[in-house]
Amino acid sequence: MAQFWYYVFTLVFFLFDYFILAMGLNIQYGETGVMNFAYIGFVAIGSYVTGAVSLPNSVGTGQQYIFGWNIPFPFNLIMGGIAAMLLAVVVAFIALRRLRTDYLAMVLFALSFVLYDIINNYPRLFNGADGLYNVAEPMTGVFHMSTNSFVIFFSLVTAAISLILWAVMSRITRSPLGRTFRAIRDDADVASALGKGVFRYQLTSMLIGSFFAGIGGGLIIQFGGSFNPSAWLPGETFVVFAVIIVGGVGNNVGLLVGALLVETLLIHLPAFLPDIPGRPGLIEYFSAMVIGIVLMAMLWFRPQGMLPERVRKFPAPAGELLNRDGHSVVAPTPVEAVATTNSAAQVADAHEGNDA
Amino acid sequence: MRVTQFWLSFGFGLVTASVLSIAAVGLSLQFGITNYINFAYGDFMALGAYLTYAFNAEIFHVNIWFALIVGSLLMGLIAVALNRFLLSPFARRFDKTFYVLIVTFGLSLIMLNLTYSIWGPNVRSYNMKIEVDMHIGPFLLNKYEIIIMIISVVTMLLIHLMLKTTRLGKSMRAMSDNTTLAMTSGIDTKRITTITWFLSGTMAGLAGSVLGITEGNLTPAAGELFLFVIFAAVIVGGVGSIYGAMAGGVLIGLATEVSAAFINAAYKLDVAFVILILTLLFRPSGLFARSGRA
Amino acid sequence: MMTYKDLSTTPAGSEGPILRCEGLTKAFGGVNAVNGATFDVPRNKITALIGPNGAGKTTVVNILSGAMKSDSGTVHLGSTDVTNMDRAKIARLGLMRTFQLSRELGGLSVLENLLVAPKVQAGESIFNIFFRPRLVKREERQNIERATEILRTYGLYDLRDNWARELSGGQKKLLEISRGVMASPSVFLLDEPMAGVNPALIERIGGYILDMKAQGVTVLMIEHNLNVVERICDNVIVLAEGKTLATGKLSELRQNKEVVTAYLGEVINASTGH
Repeated sequence: MAQFWYYVFTLVFFLFDYFILAMGLNIQYGETGVMNFAYIGFVAIGSYVTGAVSLPNSVGTGQQYIFGWNIPFPFNLIMGGIAAMLLAVVVAFIALRRLRTDYLAMVLFALSFVLYDIINNYPRLFNGADGLYNVAEPMTGVFHMSTNSFVIFFSLVTAAISLILWAVMSRITRSPLGRTFRAIRDDADVASALGKGVFRYQLTSMLIGSFFAGIGGGLIIQFGGSFNPSAWLPGETFVVFAVIIVGGVGNNVGLLVGALLVETLLIHLPAFLPDIPGRPGLIEYFSAMVIGIVLMAMLWFRPQGMLPERVRKFPAPAGELLNRDGHSVVAPTPVEAVATTNSAAQVADAHEGNDA
Repeated sequence: MRVTQFWLSFGFGLVTASVLSIAAVGLSLQFGITNYINFAYGDFMALGAYLTYAFNAEIFHVNIWFALIVGSLLMGLIAVALNRFLLSPFARRFDKTFYVLIVTFGLSLIMLNLTYSIWGPNVRSYNMKIEVDMHIGPFLLNKYEIIIMIISVVTMLLIHLMLKTTRLGKSMRAMSDNTTLAMTSGIDTKRITTITWFLSGTMAGLAGSVLGITEGNLTPAAGELFLFVIFAAVIVGGVGSIYGAMAGGVLIGLATEVSAAFINAAYKLDVAFVILILTLLFRPSGLFARSGRA
Repeated sequence: MMTYKDLSTTPAGSEGPILRCEGLTKAFGGVNAVNGATFDVPRNKITALIGPNGAGKTTVVNILSGAMKSDSGTVHLGSTDVTNMDRAKIARLGLMRTFQLSRELGGLSVLENLLVAPKVQAGESIFNIFFRPRLVKREERQNIERATEILRTYGLYDLRDNWARELSGGQKKLLEISRGVMASPSVFLLDEPMAGVNPALIERIGGYILDMKAQGVTVLMIEHNLNVVERICDNVIVLAEGKTLATGKLSELRQNKEVVTAYLGEVINASTGH
């Protein structure tokens, strides 16, 4: 029985962790149009730094790593987020400022490989190919928890953190800043013709998204106690893209749905299935192929995702004079009688907020 | 001593450059025509290498060079089919390159895991005689490496002649400059695209197979790991420029091997990366870019 | 009635022409699209930029707005040298433009298309969003009020919560113009605002442009329809082969032989059916 709950809450953890990762990539790609194909690299940096700052000094641990400052949760997590942001600054100044989008995608993908290669080859940073391990489970000392109860506890902590981050993200996407991001996504030329410094906003968006990536990565190493290069092959970025595309680019609730469908159901659930005798790994290969196929089918049949982006409505200004069918009294008739579908009903619910 | 070492590594560099040039030109040809990057290219290479393996060591047990030709051509046909039934419908339907990029990403995932499912994760190697290294001038190379260099030079020459002298090549260049204009001036863009995918797939299969020969082993992930170096070569040469890709392949191939002789060989990729970053900082459109690109 | 608040803000210096360019050149692959264009745009007037196809009109607008770098020549906005300045900076100095084919921000609502336009917004800063929410809210309310007024004037109010990508061609044209107005420009460059719209809408757009002038905006518009030019423009600049051929009132230019042979002739002939 305990084993069962262990599995369930492992799934819960990955659901909410990928929700965080998806929000981070969504603000970069879904809101601002930056195709960050190095995204998993930012996750990894967040994870390694979170682990390395919370570990004790490396002498005598049998591992090699920088930092080793004994920094407790959640401060180590925040440092992981900041480290990912620092990487974003470097990347933005080298690549983002100069390159058009598809070229940028290639450079970022290359960057993802190089980051991987560097961390693999220089064990002095984060213990090379072995990765970091023995990272203490946070707060177990305080609550005297067993591994099983830790899994439950920490998946709930992660859920709580993801909800806080969701509130933060919603505030950003609903603000004028989010609107400017979306203007840049739709047409960067028009945005700059309106006086928006495109690079500045893309950088801001990269920084916000990278912070989320770093936090999501930090939670992974805190949950499992270890992190190594096999967890972040450059292709992993694709899984996060799959989450946001399946869920719905530009819709924060959709991202949670995407995380549920892709990360929980297609990746982690099959991992619990027993191996086919004589063919180890076959299930894993099949589930990876299924992700690829699901994603293509999704792009073809429902490119807007399970929960599409919704139009943002605003309350009408106070003192608005409306006649009975909801049309504004002073407004001249619309140009072409196309979309006069906006009737009283829509004007009425214009007062509701949106973009949950 | 140092000088000898330099020339030795220069020889290895030529071999790597040969493999890399084939791969980079294959990627660049397709990019020039369709205007999106094929992120599954590394897996095209791997699958091509395994097809060669199948002919060479599994089913027909034919000679490695013959298997390589058949495997590569078969990979070319697979590429045509993938374009016809998967990539081209997406590219036609969606304006934004993003969609088709993600599809190539997904294709990469599917192909990699398909290769894993069929051949498993264990290292395989081609069925070929072991050849001794020979001294040729200052270089130390075996027969296979010399043949690979010849294959590469011949391939580059053929591509050059095709681009410069044939109608097909002229149409391809016109299309790569401006697709709409090419279409209005009566070029059968669909046919050109199909041929380009065939060439690109064939070259990917060829590059993957010769990579397997030089490395002495095959793994399903080998192509993806090599993809970064190809990207570096293509970017350094100038995206979309065929001759740039050739030059970029030679430059990166030589630089990685020569530097490996003087600093730790584990840093090979980082040398490629440093060249890539320097290019991006000082000549972001690449060393041999055509105007108006990037 | 709408008010163009703070619309009359002018770039430094309020005397002389508001926009002047000298000796602009721009070549594409050896072809000189613009070849020494020199002209002044008088303050608070409506000026038409006309010329045969391929005369370089759009390229000139691209250079003026900073969307393209010129090969040589200078552009002054008021007394500020804006030659090859970053386009966003030029926009913040008060120069707005529209595009020949309307470019709506399709993934934003009609209202949001306008709300995004004000050049500097407190709500575009992360700090303000989280630490000065009242300021952001107040500013947003003011912007919504103003956008609502503009949308009403332009007859787009009832579409305010629609995706901009769902509008018809004519509506997109209006949206693009109203978005520019929302940004409170001192100079507004319109690239063929009347192209491809029905006669009734041409009338209305003409009215809006006259309205802008009345509120102190300087307009420079590329236009082929000489009827429109005759009726609303104070001034005409004729461009041919990338050079300024002549400037003046349309009635004067009709007497100018060079202009007639280069451009007006064919248009007049075409319109009178010779």
